[in-house]
Amino acid sequence: MWETFIVTPLTNVLLWIYQLVGGNFGLAIIIFTILIRLVTHPLMAQQIKSSQGMQEMQKSKKWQDIQKKYKDDKEKLAQEQMALYKELGINPFGACLPTLIQLPIIFGLYQSIMRALAASPMQLLNLTRSLYSNFHISDLIPLNSHFLWMNLGQPEKLFLPFLPGVGIPLLAIIVAVTSYFQQKLITPPSANPGDQSAAMTKMMAIYMPLLMGYFAMTFASGLAIYFIAGNLVGIAQYAMLGKLDWKNLLPRAKKGEIVKK
Amino acid sequence: MKTKILYYTIGLLILAFLLSGCSTGMTPSSWAGITSDGETAYIAMASHVYAVQVSNGTERWRFPEKPDAKKTFFAAPTLTSDGQLIVGGYDRILYSLSPSNGAINWTFEDAKDHWIGSAVAGKDMIFAPSADYHLYALDLQGKLVWKFTAGQALWGTPVIDDTNVYFGSMDHKVYALNMTTGKMVWSTELDGAIQGAITLGPDGVLYAGTLGDSVFALDNATGKTLWQHTATSRVWSAPVIGDGCLYVGDQAGRIVSLAVDSGKENWGIQPDGPVLGSPLVLTGNIVFGTESGSLIAVDPGGKISWTQAITGKLYSTPVLAGDLLLVAPVEGDATLVALDQNGTQQWVYTPGK
Repeated sequence: MWETFIVTPLTNVLLWIYQLVGGNFGLAIIIFTILIRLVTHPLMAQQIKSSQGMQEMQKSKKWQDIQKKYKDDKEKLAQEQMALYKELGINPFGACLPTLIQLPIIFGLYQSIMRALAASPMQLLNLTRSLYSNFHISDLIPLNSHFLWMNLGQPEKLFLPFLPGVGIPLLAIIVAVTSYFQQKLITPPSANPGDQSAAMTKMMAIYMPLLMGYFAMTFASGLAIYFIAGNLVGIAQYAMLGKLDWKNLLPRAKKGEIVKK
Repeated sequence: MKTKILYYTIGLLILAFLLSGCSTGMTPSSWAGITSDGETAYIAMASHVYAVQVSNGTERWRFPEKPDAKKTFFAAPTLTSDGQLIVGGYDRILYSLSPSNGAINWTFEDAKDHWIGSAVAGKDMIFAPSADYHLYALDLQGKLVWKFTAGQALWGTPVIDDTNVYFGSMDHKVYALNMTTGKMVWSTELDGAIQGAITLGPDGVLYAGTLGDSVFALDNATGKTLWQHTATSRVWSAPVIGDGCLYVGDQAGRIVSLAVDSGKENWGIQPDGPVLGSPLVLTGNIVFGTESGSLIAVDPGGKISWTQAITGKLYSTPVLAGDLLLVAPVEGDATLVALDQNGTQQWVYTPGK
């Protein structure tokens, strides 16, 4: 089921784009990522809307009053919360469901990139079986896996002439930096900066980019290209919806701190 | 409430879908490679190279002793004339091991990609094809003598004669290089990638199967195409010569016998599944392994002599070790299965922890 409905179609679309752009696999990954993001854009817009609604509800006086009133009765608090969601027209699953729906596509995208690169005999065998009949395998194989200075089937390291023997994981650094910027730009400021969820968000903003950078450094660089394209397209999508918060990039004054003028 | 149930159901379905996606990552990267000196069989399979006693199927040693996530081996090890076992890993390192205990003699670490094809050993040189597009020529101490850059990855084992080394590449070409200098003598473009090894016949003709659904015969002096046979599907491995005929299988599962001088089909059969490995020629039989797990012995006239079902998929070429046939199934119960030449199972080897 996974193969038939996700990996195989995505692989064929990716390779169709690859042929269309004259056999440039790096460019094919970038165009493929943009296409997928365009297709899933309505889900993302829904997610942003729901997140924003919940954020505003958290700040509202009504909700704070409810929290105070039922602080010792968790069950009643949950009931009142659901009632308030209903009243304000917020779908509580609207924030996470679109992400859940996008997850199979992201997983499938990764698998289709790795399958198309076919870096081993078994992967090549799987690729020959995944291709629809309109592809001529002898024309398609081997795929040109070189893009700029990278072999997309291998983890990337840039070797500079003045630094002999030292490989810089440039792509991994770009992945970490773009992930950090994306996280910072799209995360709205917490309604309660001191609470546990705000601390968690702050931690995620640091650890997630590092984790993504580690993945980019460890796995095939084709995946890193996908991460970077995804991050940049994600930022562009938020910008188009007018939801980027550039102030998040600036250091904030801590509570109680006197800001000198 | 109904909406909540609907969301939970959708969530669970997506989770199940994702988990089924995760399981596809468990497929091994390749299939095992086997070599034998008659007494010991050397199997490169996933995280280890195993040395197994041919007489009874007991393990003699394994390399590395403990699995290392970075090290995987699939290319059949190569025995050199001075008693080394050469094996390349997906960790980009080419190892020379001692066949007696698996100890490392030397390593060659210049390659920038996996070692998928096996090396071939000459009298005083080793020719190793790498997926980094290079054929590396090393001396028997593992020092680089020369390297040649092809247009794409090299996955197939080269073949040598007294003066040249010949190999196919994923760039659709067969190359002939002078083995002393590494200079190209000729190259010939075929109709598809050459994934497997090529065969050098006793008359000096080279035979190659392509993923463009063909078998080619080339003149080894000039690279000129002597004939081309169109198969029913992709040919993954080297055709093999026996009894004056050429035997080869394809991905559609068709097994054919071709006339060596013209490529004309003597006979063809289609037993039960894709044939990806080369056949093994025995006295009176040619043995093929299929993806469906059948080991099939066919006589030179094209009649099936016997069929033996093996648990797992048979992708790699069967190997003759002493009097026994060795096969290494993928996704089977055992890593190595030994049979006599009538197809009766003698022992199985499954690595212990």
